[in-house]
Amino acid sequence: MGGSIKINLEVRDAIIESGAGDVIKCYQCGRCMAACPWNLLEGLNYATYRFCQRIKLGAIIDSEEKEEIAADTIDVFRCVGCDSCKAECPRGVGLSDILRAVRRILVEFDSYPGELKSVVTRVFSSGNPLGESTEKRGDWAAGLNIPQYTEDCEYLYFPCCLPAYDARAKKISQATVRILKRADISFGIIGKEEFCCGEAVRRVGAEKVFQAAVKQNTELFKKAKVHKVIATSPHCLVTFTKEYPEYYDGFETLHAVQVFDRLIKDKTIVPKRPFEKTVVYHDPCTLGRQMDIYDEPRAVLKSIPGLKLIEVPIFNRDFSICCGGGAMGLWRDWPQDERLANLRTEQILATDADILCVACPYCLQMFEETLKSMDADIEVMDISEILEASLELR
Amino acid sequence: MDIIVCIKRVAQTAEAEVKIDSSGKDIIKDRLTFDMNESDTYALEEAILLKEKFGGTLTAVSLGTVEAEDTLRIALAKGADSAIRIKAEDFQELDGYKTAQLLKAAIKDLKFDVVFTGCIATDDYYSLVGVTLAELLGVPHATLVTKIVIQDTKAQVHRELEGGLVEHLEMTLPVLFTIQTGINEPRYASLIAIRRAAKKEIKVIGASEIDPANIQANASLEELFTPSVGKRAEILTGSMDEISAKVAGIIKEKGLL
Repeated sequence: MGGSIKINLEVRDAIIESGAGDVIKCYQCGRCMAACPWNLLEGLNYATYRFCQRIKLGAIIDSEEKEEIAADTIDVFRCVGCDSCKAECPRGVGLSDILRAVRRILVEFDSYPGELKSVVTRVFSSGNPLGESTEKRGDWAAGLNIPQYTEDCEYLYFPCCLPAYDARAKKISQATVRILKRADISFGIIGKEEFCCGEAVRRVGAEKVFQAAVKQNTELFKKAKVHKVIATSPHCLVTFTKEYPEYYDGFETLHAVQVFDRLIKDKTIVPKRPFEKTVVYHDPCTLGRQMDIYDEPRAVLKSIPGLKLIEVPIFNRDFSICCGGGAMGLWRDWPQDERLANLRTEQILATDADILCVACPYCLQMFEETLKSMDADIEVMDISEILEASLELR
Repeated sequence: MDIIVCIKRVAQTAEAEVKIDSSGKDIIKDRLTFDMNESDTYALEEAILLKEKFGGTLTAVSLGTVEAEDTLRIALAKGADSAIRIKAEDFQELDGYKTAQLLKAAIKDLKFDVVFTGCIATDDYYSLVGVTLAELLGVPHATLVTKIVIQDTKAQVHRELEGGLVEHLEMTLPVLFTIQTGINEPRYASLIAIRRAAKKEIKVIGASEIDPANIQANASLEELFTPSVGKRAEILTGSMDEISAKVAGIIKEKGLL
């Protein structure tokens, strides 16, 4: 964003109309910049505090130089929506919401990174970011004897796209439904008619695709008479809870860890088998800062005999650092020295834990991928997998 | 320098589930995203780079339905001065020859030194329009172009051939180039340019300007179908050494070495 500023109120109005009304609240205190994890990476200067002022002046992505336009565009699409800035902002402004408005205009004009474009295309065409066949969406549950959802079920279990298709992430959905089954929870699954919740496509600005996701899922939920959903991904949880009600509010959503916590508290399930490991818990942004769910996962882990729960010093709970997977970060190909997952993994490795416990399929994938290139003796497990290991077999 | 770039709005099918519709002659498009054809984005960028270097005019032309105007606006936002849409809905079934005739009719009154097209469209993969249009315009052409250096009325052009070979040509303007992907890095658009492009008028021409009776297709589509699945692949088993030996044996047996 170098050079002189060219004020363009038409650009300002277009961005505000696209959803960035909160820019007027910003008084450039700079706390967002201090909070933004990108600025913890050596050599990276992500001037977040300038975005709002630039938008107020309509002077964002305003250069005539190809390279400067590219750099500004990359910056607009850098934010992973972790909401560290929103948590710190004295006026509650979330830069991810602001940047989403800018992104909507750019996506409409096809002026956004190609790797994101591919994911948007896959979600729209196949209903999932992996481009897998809709016909196979329920295959993860094969052999587990999980009933199809009917209106007699209390809950719909919604596995999210990664645990529906990805070989590693499937183990989360499979562990979760096995726990729900042994707790005699009344639930079912739908499978192939489900569509990606659309959280990530909305964050990158592909609003039309998000609207298609909302339409398909809400029509499905209405038709199947779904009133309660258990989600495995906090990304589904946050979008079902905070974004869908604008279009349909006939259902409520719980994250699996909230259900586990309740089942342990009311003694429906009792973790008895010792899990003699030191476990560090990573707060996913969408579960922690965005849904305020910090205590439940810790309570679940503390209920497990033998398990020693430790924290990442300072950067835990609402100061947790993003894995970098949000807003389609999972599909970005940043240079090695521009990866949030590297930063967070190093913080985690410094704790000397045996197990890194996550509660989000994106985090699981980001950390496992990152650890492949590190010489580290730590295993990544989802909280459902740890809990299941501590339950005695029937 | 006056430049024309021909662009096409195509369904993005590379990573999508593609299904054939009930007519058997088209694909189901309601779950597909549409974008500028990939090699056309490189053609557009090459055109913008030439205009930045030499000045002049850059006109983007597209044959398509009203949605193609979105694609033309992207060209306007990135650097085209004006845009023309030829109403596809006025001309029924199209083939490469008919498309080239329509493009020629749309640009025949424009001055040009260079006409750009992409080297191939990722919907029908004919690679036909660029070369046919050059013939109809009576200008020389180069296909699969990977480098262009223009001085006065001469163009030094690199073409990509098979086996990693490059052909170097000297051509005299006016010319038509069909551009290979990777020749440059297509740009993003600035927000100011996007706002400007959103308001720009796009010239639309159809049956009242071009008589459909004079434009005929050479080929018509009979049927689209998914080829039947052939013999299953042979999965080699054994240790790494055994598998390697088997692979080497097969390669020798097939005469590939």
